[in-house]
Amino acid sequence: MGFLDNSGDIILDAVLTDTGRMRLARGDGSFKIVKFALGDDEINYELYNKVHASGSAYYDLEVLQTPVLEAFTDNAASMKSKLVSIPRNNLLYLPMLKLNEVYDVSTKRHTTGYFLVAVNTTTEDELEVDASGVSINGILMGESPGRGGNRIRVDQGLDTTAISPGRTLDPLLVETQYMVEMDNRLGHIVSKDDAIRAAISFVDDDSIATYNLVRRDNSDFVTEISSTAFSAQQAIAGPRGTKIAFKVQSSLELNTSDYLFDTIGTTEDITGKSGATSHKVISSNIRVTGVNTGYRIDIPVKFVKKA
Amino acid sequence: MATVYKNLLSNDVANTRTLLHEAIPITGSIVSGTYGYAATAIGSERNIKTYGHGMFESVYDYPYLSSSANQIFDITTGYAATSGLSGSSNTQNAKKINIYNQMAQYLVGYDHTGSIKKFKMPDNNTEMLECYFVPFSRLLTKDEIKKGSFTFEVGVSGSAEAAAKKIFIQDGLLNYFGDRIKITDTSGSTGYHVDSPAGEYGVLYATQSLVSVPAPAGLMRANTALPVGLLYYQAGVMVLSASIFQRAGTPNTGLLNNTTFPDYSAANTADMPRVTIAGDTSTVGFEAASTGSTIGNLADGLRNRIYNISFNNTTELNSTIYFCRASHSDFNYSSNPTYLTGSQIRVKTRAADTPVAYFTSVGLYSADNELLAVAKLSEPLRKDPTNEVTLRVRLDY
Repeated sequence: MGFLDNSGDIILDAVLTDTGRMRLARGDGSFKIVKFALGDDEINYELYNKVHASGSAYYDLEVLQTPVLEAFTDNAASMKSKLVSIPRNNLLYLPMLKLNEVYDVSTKRHTTGYFLVAVNTTTEDELEVDASGVSINGILMGESPGRGGNRIRVDQGLDTTAISPGRTLDPLLVETQYMVEMDNRLGHIVSKDDAIRAAISFVDDDSIATYNLVRRDNSDFVTEISSTAFSAQQAIAGPRGTKIAFKVQSSLELNTSDYLFDTIGTTEDITGKSGATSHKVISSNIRVTGVNTGYRIDIPVKFVKKA
Repeated sequence: MATVYKNLLSNDVANTRTLLHEAIPITGSIVSGTYGYAATAIGSERNIKTYGHGMFESVYDYPYLSSSANQIFDITTGYAATSGLSGSSNTQNAKKINIYNQMAQYLVGYDHTGSIKKFKMPDNNTEMLECYFVPFSRLLTKDEIKKGSFTFEVGVSGSAEAAAKKIFIQDGLLNYFGDRIKITDTSGSTGYHVDSPAGEYGVLYATQSLVSVPAPAGLMRANTALPVGLLYYQAGVMVLSASIFQRAGTPNTGLLNNTTFPDYSAANTADMPRVTIAGDTSTVGFEAASTGSTIGNLADGLRNRIYNISFNNTTELNSTIYFCRASHSDFNYSSNPTYLTGSQIRVKTRAADTPVAYFTSVGLYSADNELLAVAKLSEPLRKDPTNEVTLRVRLDY
């Protein structure tokens, strides 16, 4: 995609996304636009210079000169960060999402920086513990999610030491609904306690499944962070809102076939019970977005299968 | 509660219909010339595709074996079974009749008995029993040809070469564009007809375009418009009466039969393919070509006489306009990761500072938060509590 010509009048370059076209072609009424959002994917707010020597008129000079790319038709590639409406103008802090790896060892990533999803029992057996019998961090049991307690946990709140965590997070800023997106060919989201599969809201044309998890209806996944104390187990330093925790169950295709591993994957040595052994690996991301607050993070995940 | 979406209300959505026109010029050199040269036989040009069945030929804008070539129109010809030219000993007699009937049933339809009607001039009910058909590709015509915009200019000078080949071509030695007629649908914008099953159609009129040899006063000299065919706007098909060419042996026949029609060519060569000439008793002309030549050869004849084609096409755009209104209290913060540094808003120093955000795109969403359409601004726009923005996003279908 090229840049849009910004030498004259402001123009608006609009396209249907691939998912939009898919829904339009389906003809079942699912193509219905009911709301809009504003995005600022290209904006780097670090360019906003609050101390510009020439005065406030120059604060955003560089931001406004940002060249803008043409619209992408890939629905996943657009509107990655959105503008937020909050009925208060005097906020100095906004909530964010943060991967909680400090709660205990069960929420830590693997030493490779990824969460590793073992897609079958053989791989689970290999990677559950190391040669010394010590549990390996960041291993998610993809065939039998109930086995082991490792999970992914994302916390929401004001990550600042300027405000005490004892203060209640403004209800305006408490996230109540999360959108989790992951490749539906690779796996599914399940609850951390009893491995209940979350309901898929829709699967787009790129096989990305979207799960909408609401605190009111999905208490297995979304819960309030009750801790209001300074704690080494909390990723959010200031006032806290909610958290989402889940595990990943590998897909039947990954479990029973090597096709996707051979097509979109690689081979890596991963250290487990037998030492460093070869595994087939597919790297992916699980994206967690706060539906109301708009903040999102990508969690790196590898689906692994003992070769 | 914070939110990143704003619902569109009923008065935020409007539907419009727009007709978009493009000028389509097709020069004769593309149709015959650019990809044909002395060593290339007529009909073997690289942008001309012929078929084993021999029922039509296709004209491309580029050598058709290239993937970047586009088919621009086809040419075929045929006559009715009741035509005086029809005869079982004719070359491709059945196929010429089949072509005529196929085009007639599609463009003219059936009478009350279920029989295929003939092409007729709506002004005087004159039947057109021998016709050229030029269907233009949808790539060019889009939804329809704009009424009143069509021009088809052909050369009508002749050469002796054509006699031997029984086709209306020139061997390149003589300028067969020295005399030209221009065929237009001049009345189309105000006087079209609607009784065709294939949509609206207008009458094509021939006028002189270029006359090289001064001739006695006559219809063409006076630039009088003579009806010579029909143009089906939605179907994108030109039906051209073969009577624009002389008919050998039976002069003054055909649609252009007119005793005052000028003999503007002094040569009056026997095989000259030109508009009907009063008193012409030549033995070789359209009649001989039509009966003795293949459809491909006849198509080559017309194609090599095309000087220029131009028209405006029409695309009907049905649009939905979404007015995305961001009021002063909307969208003043961002979820962009660079917007925060340790949860603190980067563009503010104190809580009392005015929040500000910049946006470059507008996303249109379904109820289940799926991004269905996206629009990008050519430059970032500032949003803060002191301004309101209405973005007009138009989706065309």
